[in-house]
Amino acid sequence: MPDRFWISSCAGAPPSLACSLVLLFSWSTAAQEPNRPLHELIDEHVSAPWKTNGTTPAALADDAEFLRRIYLDLTGSVPSTAEARTFLDQPAPDQRTALIDKLLASPEFARHMSRVFDVTLMERRPDKHVPANEWREFLRIAFAEKKPWDQLVREILSSDGADPKTRAAAKFFLDRDAEPTVLTKDLTRMFLGMNYQCAQCHDHPLVSDYAQEHYYGIYAFVSRSYLFTDKKNKNLVSLAEKADGDVKFKSVFDKTKTEHATGPRILAGPPIAEPKFDKGQEYAVAPADGVKPVPKFSRRAQLASLLAVPTNTPFNRNIANRLWAHMMGRGLVQPLDLDNSDNPPSHPELIELLASQFVAMKYDVRALLRELALSQTYQRASWLPETAGELPPERFAVALIKPLSPEQLAWSMMQATGVTDSACAALADKCTEQTLHDRLAGNVNEFVATFAGAPGEPDVRFQASLDQALFLSNGGLVRGWLVPGTGNLADRLVKLFNAEQFDAVADELYFSVLTRRATPDECAEIAEYLKPRAADRAVAIQELIWALLTSSEFRFNH
Amino acid sequence: MLCRYDCGSPEHQITRRSLLAGLAGGAMGTFGISRFAVPAVAEELKSAQKRVLIIFLAGGSSQLETWDPKPNTDTGGPFRAIPTSVPGVHISELLPYSAKQMHRMAIVRGINTAEDDHGQGAYIMETGRRPDNVTRFPALGSVMSKFVGPADSPLPGYIHIQPGGAGYNKQDSAFLGPKFASVSLGDGNPPPNVVRPESLTESADRMRNMLRQRANERFAARRRTAETEAYSYSYEQALQLMERREVFDVSKESPQDLERYGTHDFGRHCLLARRLLENGVTCVKVTHSNYDTHWENFDFHIEQLGEFDRPFASLIGDLADRGLLDSTLVVVMAEFGRTPRINAGLGRDHWSRAWSVALAGCGIQHGAVVGKTNPNGTQVTDREVHGGHLFHTYFRALGLDSKQKYHVGGQPVPVADQTVGPIEELLA
Repeated sequence: MPDRFWISSCAGAPPSLACSLVLLFSWSTAAQEPNRPLHELIDEHVSAPWKTNGTTPAALADDAEFLRRIYLDLTGSVPSTAEARTFLDQPAPDQRTALIDKLLASPEFARHMSRVFDVTLMERRPDKHVPANEWREFLRIAFAEKKPWDQLVREILSSDGADPKTRAAAKFFLDRDAEPTVLTKDLTRMFLGMNYQCAQCHDHPLVSDYAQEHYYGIYAFVSRSYLFTDKKNKNLVSLAEKADGDVKFKSVFDKTKTEHATGPRILAGPPIAEPKFDKGQEYAVAPADGVKPVPKFSRRAQLASLLAVPTNTPFNRNIANRLWAHMMGRGLVQPLDLDNSDNPPSHPELIELLASQFVAMKYDVRALLRELALSQTYQRASWLPETAGELPPERFAVALIKPLSPEQLAWSMMQATGVTDSACAALADKCTEQTLHDRLAGNVNEFVATFAGAPGEPDVRFQASLDQALFLSNGGLVRGWLVPGTGNLADRLVKLFNAEQFDAVADELYFSVLTRRATPDECAEIAEYLKPRAADRAVAIQELIWALLTSSEFRFNH
Repeated sequence: MLCRYDCGSPEHQITRRSLLAGLAGGAMGTFGISRFAVPAVAEELKSAQKRVLIIFLAGGSSQLETWDPKPNTDTGGPFRAIPTSVPGVHISELLPYSAKQMHRMAIVRGINTAEDDHGQGAYIMETGRRPDNVTRFPALGSVMSKFVGPADSPLPGYIHIQPGGAGYNKQDSAFLGPKFASVSLGDGNPPPNVVRPESLTESADRMRNMLRQRANERFAARRRTAETEAYSYSYEQALQLMERREVFDVSKESPQDLERYGTHDFGRHCLLARRLLENGVTCVKVTHSNYDTHWENFDFHIEQLGEFDRPFASLIGDLADRGLLDSTLVVVMAEFGRTPRINAGLGRDHWSRAWSVALAGCGIQHGAVVGKTNPNGTQVTDREVHGGHLFHTYFRALGLDSKQKYHVGGQPVPVADQTVGPIEELLA
């Protein structure tokens, strides 16, 4: 396909079926069997190398393991005790598929996605111009309304923040102060899966695909933009753009210091065609004191319609890879922002299949997550028989262990200890996802402060630190949740203890905290632990709950 | 995977150590270790562990009233220069006690950081990089708690003693992650959550931790990863730290020492720094405020340095007497110096073009003076350096390769500005 065709036929157009179909059928053989569901094709791709490399995969997860995992991945919390009991005690035919569909349709899903994509796109930067709650609400509504990913990204890249209706979407640009180096780095990382930072001063020294001119091609879309402060309302900061300013660069490695120039372009694509205006005719609204200028041709406005479209393969691969990593615990391309030919995907055909299928699904995030969740790859156990030895994680032959995000940890602890149920009971008939969220969200802040990385750093690496252990051991917030109060977990367990129903204590504790039945050994351990503690029952119960809340089994999604 | 870089691999050691602890004795074994390990730590410290002490003179101390005096010039101000324990080396008369420690110290007089903003200047000095908007680099204390911190210490690797509130600062560790964040001890109080709440008895805490460990052993029997091990081990560290919380309590020091260091904040903070370093904390930073003397520079420096001089000199002397100075790198820095020109309010303003830093201890050439400024101190005339050179020098002084790289998200990032190198003349 010649480059000119690439730019002229699809650029600027809404996602077109023609483009998607071309992509869909041109990549892999597996995709040529359109009647087979994607999740089967996923399993086929993942398991194909196992015969030759001698991999014995883990068995499929049992219902309890699946239940906890799917709740955490799709709603951001462990299930309630009641939900766990129903699923595990009264299994229905095909209940895993039914549960996946139920969770994808739930308001909790939209909320969880808003948190996940907030952290992905803003990396916990402190608020500057757009409050985080407005931005998260924008994301939540987008997921609740099933806004396609490409459309969501185009809105994020298009809003200048001046119109209150679309202002929240401008957070990506505004809170980075419209700083072109910061924007170029984050646009390439977050929307194209390529970290071009090292190509700012020269071609990337280690990645032959990442050229300096690609960096400046993206840079040129945003380099004329800047923050404009409204004279009457100093809080109203929005994006403005100049009509001039060309991008020139030279490599620090080049001894001849040759200067290069580029217009706006998406990576190796051709520079966009730009209209020429006579001097003095460049602006629709000319710059003047206190007046926000409007150029007749906006470079930034071109970005959305060239970047977030089906013809832009890196855009499709990036989101397919990120959604895969969200479910499977690691990208097919890993790190998630280092997609290039020197760092090939673990399953090259599979990433292409996912990317093209996602386009064919019209960028419906739910639809792709559903297929991922239905796959055996997702539904494997997280443990192997002892004889299996260690398996490289990129084989996806055993479910990978994922640390809970600060938000998942906070909401899961509230769910497990009964804080959530108590709050819902107090709200009575006003208890909805929204009211419950509003009532409890304040508790999440301390978890974020304690468990998240530094602002502006990706939340990808797990580190256990002393202050985290001290927070969960001695901090007032979690200790308060362990004190018996009407209907909460400690209260229920103390009552069972009073009735000397030790097996029931174990059962209720394990269902509530670890979303599974206690094993006979664990039941015996609890009975043995509690029998001598008749004098300080509430204390003993709090010890039991705390021990499971702080166990590895709770801290990780497995 | 926790650690893929050449970093002395503390995480790997943690994993191995906690594995052994888990296998050998389970819960009770681990409690045992914390009790018996304490005396052993001090011995081991002297032999192997390296440490870093940063004294940060916030606001920007004047090089002319400290390490590079210019008496009898138009810029020199009213104070004399006095001889030090190193023949031929003179410093301001406001630092008489420090002058007697000069044979253990070194001075860099040719610093030009070309940045007169407080925040940016501090960033340059703490990270060895110019701020660039795009990548935030970790601060010296976080960097060294990663590179030279012992893998299994229950103590935080980087402690910042300053006036004001206590807490954790993740900006300091940047991409190194929360494990290497600084812990602020506001006014010398212990970090948050180190003291067990009254409603939780020690025995209840021990019991619940035993249960937690049993649960972890069951989980790990089928799913053991470096991450689950590190998580489990963090609680053992927390318990050990709670047992050793007295390391934060400076009132346990002798009345003589309290008197010698001074009863003002900076005196107590220096004594606390000594206590923390002796107990095995890798990096301690003490902030002394405030040197931003746009008005009445000379009166303010009499006052500030009057607080600074004696406890600082006592700390250097004590570390030397205890055999700790040779393994402790000491850096006295600020965000910049002050203008040679004296302004109308008898103040000096921000000045980054020609100023000084003092060093001492591990790997530093004793008595060295590197770099020169012109007679009235307005520019560097010999061996001009900036924060990047200093950062290389810190690495080398601690016996580390300053040309090594971090791997951040799969990309190599040099630990220090690769366009410059260390100040070799400063290295022992």
